[in-house]
Amino acid sequence: MGGTIGLNVKRKEAWAKVTGQAKYTDDFPTVGHYTARLLVSPYAHAKIISIDKTKALSIKGVKAVITGEDYPNLSGTLLVDRPILANKIVRYAGEPVALAVAVDEAAAALAAAAVEVKYEVLPAVFTPQEALNSTAPLVHEELGAYVHMVEDINPKPRSNISCHFPVRKGNMAEGWRNSRVTIEQEFFLPPSDHLAMEIRTARAEISKDGMVTITTSSQAPFEVKKQIADCFQIPAGNIRVHVPFVGGGFGGKAPVMQELLAYIASREVDGNPVRLVMDRKEDMTAAPSRAGLSARIKLGATKEGLLQAAELTFWLDNGAYTDIGPYMVKAIASDCTGPYRVDNLHCDAYGVYTNHTYATSCRSFAHESLTFCIERAMELLAEKLAMDPLQLRLVNAITPGQYTPTQVQGSFSNLGNLPACISRLQELTNWQESQPMQITADTVRAKGMACFWKAATPPTNAPSGAVVTFNSDGSLNLNTGVVEMGSASQSHLAQMLADKLGVSDDQVHVVMEVDTQLNPVHYKTVASITSYIAGRAVMRAAEDILEQLRKIGSEALGCFPEDVEVKQSRVFARQNPDIYIDFQDIVMGYKDIFGNSIGEPVLGRGTSMFKGLSNLDPKTGKGRTGPAWTVGAQAVEVEMDLKDYTYHIIGAYSVMDVGNLINPESMAGSVRGGMAMGLSMASRESFSYAKQGRGEMTTPSLRSYKAIHVGEEPVYQLDFVETPQLDAPYGMRSMSEHGIIGIPAALANALSKACGVAFNHLPLKPEDLWRTATAAGAGAKAGGSGAEAAPAPAAAASSAAFTAGPGAGFGEGGGIQ
Amino acid sequence: MIPVNFAYCRPCTPEEAVQSYTAYEKAGKKTLYYGGGSEIISMARVGSITPEAVVDLKEIPACCELKEEGSYINMGGALSLRAIADSQCFPLMGKAVGRIADHTNQCRITLGGNLCGTIIYREAVLPLLLTESEVSLQGPEGVRRLPLQKVFDGRMRLLPGEFILKVHVPKKYAQMPYLHVKKAPTEKIDYPAVSLAAIIEKGKLKIAFAGICSYPFRSKEMEAALNDTAMDITQRLNKAVELLPEKPADDVHCSRGYRELLFKNMLGQVLAELSAGSKAGAKS
Ligand SMILES: Cc1cc2nc3c(=O)[nH]c(=O)nc-3n(C[C@H](O)[C@H](O)[C@H](O)COP(=O)(O)OP(=O)(O)OC[C@H]3O[C@@H](n4cnc5c(N)ncnc54)[C@H](O)[C@@H]3O)c2cc1C
Repeated sequence: MGGTIGLNVKRKEAWAKVTGQAKYTDDFPTVGHYTARLLVSPYAHAKIISIDKTKALSIKGVKAVITGEDYPNLSGTLLVDRPILANKIVRYAGEPVALAVAVDEAAAALAAAAVEVKYEVLPAVFTPQEALNSTAPLVHEELGAYVHMVEDINPKPRSNISCHFPVRKGNMAEGWRNSRVTIEQEFFLPPSDHLAMEIRTARAEISKDGMVTITTSSQAPFEVKKQIADCFQIPAGNIRVHVPFVGGGFGGKAPVMQELLAYIASREVDGNPVRLVMDRKEDMTAAPSRAGLSARIKLGATKEGLLQAAELTFWLDNGAYTDIGPYMVKAIASDCTGPYRVDNLHCDAYGVYTNHTYATSCRSFAHESLTFCIERAMELLAEKLAMDPLQLRLVNAITPGQYTPTQVQGSFSNLGNLPACISRLQELTNWQESQPMQITADTVRAKGMACFWKAATPPTNAPSGAVVTFNSDGSLNLNTGVVEMGSASQSHLAQMLADKLGVSDDQVHVVMEVDTQLNPVHYKTVASITSYIAGRAVMRAAEDILEQLRKIGSEALGCFPEDVEVKQSRVFARQNPDIYIDFQDIVMGYKDIFGNSIGEPVLGRGTSMFKGLSNLDPKTGKGRTGPAWTVGAQAVEVEMDLKDYTYHIIGAYSVMDVGNLINPESMAGSVRGGMAMGLSMASRESFSYAKQGRGEMTTPSLRSYKAIHVGEEPVYQLDFVETPQLDAPYGMRSMSEHGIIGIPAALANALSKACGVAFNHLPLKPEDLWRTATAAGAGAKAGGSGAEAAPAPAAAASSAAFTAGPGAGFGEGGGIQ
Repeated sequence: MIPVNFAYCRPCTPEEAVQSYTAYEKAGKKTLYYGGGSEIISMARVGSITPEAVVDLKEIPACCELKEEGSYINMGGALSLRAIADSQCFPLMGKAVGRIADHTNQCRITLGGNLCGTIIYREAVLPLLLTESEVSLQGPEGVRRLPLQKVFDGRMRLLPGEFILKVHVPKKYAQMPYLHVKKAPTEKIDYPAVSLAAIIEKGKLKIAFAGICSYPFRSKEMEAALNDTAMDITQRLNKAVELLPEKPADDVHCSRGYRELLFKNMLGQVLAELSAGSKAGAKS
């Protein structure tokens, strides 16, 4: 319509960000604020015997020291299982135990450190397997007594199981009977961090008449309001949550944590403004992390490679508290097979408590982990079948008419076109040359690929809304509850609005900050659902505006409302376009030449709510968790040094069906960002915990926790397929998280091929590869790996390494001169 | 944020520095000399040290000197690693310090700070261990100049109140064939799993290591074994592992086993280069 769709429209906040003018939560003046700092538990699991605040309170400038006994209130997104400050028991190293509030940060830090806590150490559990052992210590003794916020989770009292989602389909016996080839393999992914550049922080104050104002770095301002209201029994109307720009969220800022802490801090100092400061270490250890995952995958296929049966078990390491974890387990269950047709399916997905830092959503809601397991398994199956892994995926790719694990019938609209993505990837990667290639005596190049799919798993009634107001120059203000945290979703909404109203993009101003008193409700800025659900609301607001303009226009122009057209910021009758009214003369209401007042100011409103979603059947898993899937195919190319297992990532490829490429550059940017995150996560990121002693995190700083750096990224090559999703605005599919999903698997597949050893664990640090290869034995074809081109790695690791001739590359050193 | 207050002073002469240090200590303040401050600040932030006074050495001209004097190259203790690398006064030194941290931090970390820091690598010492270098130490009793090896046994052994004024490297070593290899566990810029510096003097390999053990070292016994052409390369490598002064380090950055693998690989490359070099030398 307006012609803004498909253009590389600049982000609305581009100038603010590139000039450094954009303001984040802790950038606002701190004058008049007290500061709060945390004391966290050094133990993974311990009883709190006593807490002595005396010394802390005697420090100059200290106003309050708060502990769990002062606020025994529990909070939680799905299951109300988490105290604001640990009370009687600590369940992870890093768990907040005390909060000191003081006139400045230094006094608060000293006071927090001066709180004396006596602990009695309890045995801890660090993996789902340990936690499921019948003799395992319980992370939550009271599991059966917690309040549920949703109806579809079922924690098992007296166990460490927080939820279980089964999926049953077809006839397993028949599936195995029809299988000529089977593989079975276990997989493991450790927890890791979101590592947003902006550390979590929040501010709170309470006015004398009871109005609570929170400013926070959150993806979920409306959820903050709800949880504070629930947790402290305050009317929601007395709570106002303000969210300026957020410096990266990746799901890690969807939970409500720092806001509860800031709130109790302010409450303890008479409602005075308080600024909660967490440092990077606390952001990593105390605040929620990305979940770990363990899995056992068994696949069966005909000798042509057609999948006949899948038996899948997943255990999500949720850490000490559930937060949104059970819904990640639900998401794993509903997409459990990956984007393939599997008629005979038996899947059990569990959420498991451990004494790790609690986990929450992280970019792609566990799909990168699920996909790692499935796509490694597909690779192992391809090897066993001696089949090209790309072909194996192509013949099994789910297509319209077939059914998903939870028995949703596929269509082009809800599935997109995976075969088209695979074929395009084949060209883009020059896949016929995907076999490992010897570069020098010690180096090999190899490519690995993976496919993915993902549907959102929002609450079945997640809401959104949009309000559009006008300015006297005829331009518009778009007002939603969407948080701007780098995904450009606000700008995409503005683009849609401009197009629908036929105005140019620069006529749409976006209200970037969210204030829950002013902005219409939006569930949370998560799950890549903004373009869909907020998009629907924006479309409705635009319809509302058009209707009002037609009505006023018809009166002003003297024609039927249905003849009124709106284009290029003008209103005119179709039959007489030469006589028109400029937006600026009509959007504030029209006044004719005689001074008659016609119509009234235009105000657009639109709301929306998911429709047609359902909970999963507790026995079979049948149900629909999201409106549609986004599918894609990705690949990674590596060059590996077989002497020490170091490698370079030289290329990364992605083809995704986005429905409609409404803004090519910004959408490509999202995909590249996701790929970078996937490469970083898979190649090096992990939270390690001390197995002995206190069970503390051993990688709580950026000196020991490694993330990819500028200069280490490969060349990215992207392409898109566009199969519209019919119920989505402009047919655009969810896509902001998805760049990450297939990358960890593709990297593992490439590395496994390069050295002929199956890598089924993350991370893929050279040292981890070496350990796996060594355990697999010299030249072992672990996991059925049959890459003949790759020389025996273990031999290369010992004496064979020293035959390196001149020019074998001496790192930075250069040869002896 | 560093939650405790501390005094900061920035004297202009070595004598003033020592006087300030002594005066603070006398007044009961825990005092540290301050180079680039990168370690002092990060440790103070997490509360593992709580200095009450720091004496910054960067305003002292002698500490920032970089020049040739007689048969020596003098490097001030407060010179930044980047300044040393950019000067190209001693290529091996340039390589070794040019691989410590990233460019931004190299502009800040000082030679004295690297040699005296608590972080176990102290990679700037490697070239100094190979070259009969000397150090000038300024202390309450004045300056003493002595061979580095006398005060370095894995870490600097300074007397109370002393700081590194200068390092002196004999010029002749700047001309010798050298090699520097550093491998970090995952990334190019990181703490070393193993880092080594080597020179060839009169056909003999001299070599020093950091990262592999909990302190940097040069071992005469290991050098003798590595130069012993009666053994083949594999034997020499195995011998070198046996002669490590302690078991390879085993920590969150890198495991013992992987360090050992890298150590052998890297040393293997050194020996291969060495024999290739001597063959080439024999031909010409
Ligand atoms: C990001 C990063 C990466 C790093 N990577 C490496 C690496 O790869 N390899 C490596 O070897 N190191 C590495 N380091 C460690 C670094 O070299 C040491 O921390 C070093 O101590 C910092 O030097 P500085 O001048 O900033 O020291 P400061 O913080 O100023 O001082 C450190 C210590 O040295 C003492 N000191 C300083 N100057 C003198 C002097 N002239 N005489 C006597 N004592 C003195 C101080 O009293 C203090 O005890 C890294 C550090 C950082 C921040």
